[in-house]
Amino acid sequence: MKGKQVWWRKVAAVAMALGLVAMLGIVSPVGAAETVVKVGNIEPLSSPSASVGEQGKNARNMAVEEINAAGGIKSLGGAKLEMIYADSESKPEKGVAEAERLINTEKVNVLTGCWNSAVTYPTSAVAERYGIPFIVPVSVADKITEQGFKNVFRIAAKDSWWTRDQFTFLQDMEKEFGAKVETVAFVYENGDWGKGFAEQWKKLAETAGYKVVLDEPYPSTATDFSPVVNKIKRANPDVLMMVSNAADAILLTNTLAEYKVKPKAIITSGGGHADPSFLKAVGKNARYLFDIVEWETDVNKPGAKDINTKFKTKYGYNLAGESVDAYIAMYVLKDALERAGSLDPKAIREALAATNLSTGPAMIASYDVIAFDATGQNKFAALAIVQVNDLGTGLERITVWPKNARRAGYTPVFPMPKD
Amino acid sequence: MIYLLEDTINGILMGSIYGLTALGLTIIFGVLKVINFAHGSLLMVGMYVAFWAATLSGMNPYVALIVVVPIMYAFGYLLQNTLIKPIFKAEKQVREPITVIIVTTGVWYILDNLCLLIFGPQYRALQNNPLRGKMLEIGGMMLSVPKLWGFVAAMITAGAVYWFFQKTRMGRAIRATSLDREAASLMGINQYKVYNMAFGIGTATAGIAGVALIPFFNVYPSVGVLFDMKGYIIVVLGGLGSIWGAMLGGIIIGLIESVCPQFMTATWTEAIVYALFLAVLFIKPSGLFGVKYDW
Repeated sequence: MKGKQVWWRKVAAVAMALGLVAMLGIVSPVGAAETVVKVGNIEPLSSPSASVGEQGKNARNMAVEEINAAGGIKSLGGAKLEMIYADSESKPEKGVAEAERLINTEKVNVLTGCWNSAVTYPTSAVAERYGIPFIVPVSVADKITEQGFKNVFRIAAKDSWWTRDQFTFLQDMEKEFGAKVETVAFVYENGDWGKGFAEQWKKLAETAGYKVVLDEPYPSTATDFSPVVNKIKRANPDVLMMVSNAADAILLTNTLAEYKVKPKAIITSGGGHADPSFLKAVGKNARYLFDIVEWETDVNKPGAKDINTKFKTKYGYNLAGESVDAYIAMYVLKDALERAGSLDPKAIREALAATNLSTGPAMIASYDVIAFDATGQNKFAALAIVQVNDLGTGLERITVWPKNARRAGYTPVFPMPKD
Repeated sequence: MIYLLEDTINGILMGSIYGLTALGLTIIFGVLKVINFAHGSLLMVGMYVAFWAATLSGMNPYVALIVVVPIMYAFGYLLQNTLIKPIFKAEKQVREPITVIIVTTGVWYILDNLCLLIFGPQYRALQNNPLRGKMLEIGGMMLSVPKLWGFVAAMITAGAVYWFFQKTRMGRAIRATSLDREAASLMGINQYKVYNMAFGIGTATAGIAGVALIPFFNVYPSVGVLFDMKGYIIVVLGGLGSIWGAMLGGIIIGLIESVCPQFMTATWTEAIVYALFLAVLFIKPSGLFGVKYDW
């Protein structure tokens, strides 16, 4: 008897709760007179990539709070953005399942994500099938925008642009400082990453008319870099380009300084050279080195400093490439929604494709215009080059390229002094 | 020509330091007849001890040897006494106790992860020490001063260990145990004490190698792995248990790594080292200095 009573009470409670939800459901659109734009976000919120997933989430939230506080999407009657997050756990199959759920169950209007290229790649196919616009802030694999899809829009620069920008930077430096570069040397770790870079470098060097005097893959586990450095010294290149993991980046930089190898410039590719302990371990030996990055806190763009300060006070760390792209993505979406004036995915897609954004907070990027090409790639996305130098307050990374993003009052040191 | 000479000298200098890192491995194998898989971790501990001794006191890293050698000897002695001895006792009847190898692997993992917990994954390099970045320039050749010091340290250490084993009473007792531990026990030698001492000496040489490395190398929790593989190859090349064999094996590897890249990419030198390793195993499995049969 007693058990039965409890059972009935539960049913009654559930029924009442359902009724309440149903009533709210009916009442709220009328009462609030507000449309919401549902944005589904798939990010690695657990798994080893969780820290970058969290950075992306925080940056999105900060942008959306700003947009909503400023009155939402005006062309949609002040519609607010509503963020719905799903965890991909960095697993492709999880990303695909979450995309299905967000589209079918949550009825999102737009999707964003997924950081891991391996997750973004299959997930973009789901978005394409349902015709839901899919904004990709940072998955760099080239193939994501090379599938002929209509609904994929990527903010970040793709893989092959890193090497391209290293060469563009070099040619810009030649022009700016009137120094001629004729020979280049490539020294790189002999894994997928280094070899991939070197392959593209070789093509770019040929096009640019540079002579490759040394092409040296080395094992990352090497314990003595004197032989490699001696080879560099004897090849005597004008410019040395490197791809290194952490331990080898430190040893190479120190050994280069010991053997007094001073090419006109050393250009590195992030990775080990961007490791937080790199500068500390090599000290002044890293001076004048150029490294390629997505974004640096000192980028000379209006508002960048304030937005970074706001982000840092809120979440305790600086903005970085990943979080900046996520932040920008929300403003790109806002801009598209304003122009679409509709929640119809097709209209949003058309508006995104016609994006030509050059104002507003999205301009904390190191480049000046955001617009997508036919494949959905942000065609102006660029990377920045920093130079390691000591301006009297210890070694720091100073943005030097592109020129309009250069730190105010800083003149890059090129060629590297010989002494 | 001058390049070849420069590379040869660099190869010999770096190779002797490789030999020094492998010295402890060969000593411990020679006496205990077990491969010590934790040797790379002992080297890593030695590097950390040397790093902190030199950083905190501001001493020349080689002066820090006064601290490093006793600490590392005690560390090795206690490690053997508390962790490995019980297994030897349990496997009294077995000539080459396999279980000890498994235990040393466990020690390797524990030490590496303990250091990761305590010191974090950062790469540390000795700053502001008198040896850092010093180069000697002789007629167009550039030689690293810290490596030169490492070469001298390696030779003195190898000579001292050799002398100790050959000439002192304790050294003879250790050699007797390594030849036949039962007979040695019957002669009144405390075999477990000998094992403790051998492990202590092996660990102390890893500490000396740490001192030789820190003026020009980074310290981090998994640094031992880089020297581990090299150590095994060196020891097999020179002959397991042979002191001068380890030094020669190290110099051979150093020469291959230093001279060969001038004719091919550095990636190839690794392949050559491993090919040589296989060749030695096929042709003379006991190594260059090893004895064919040990009793």
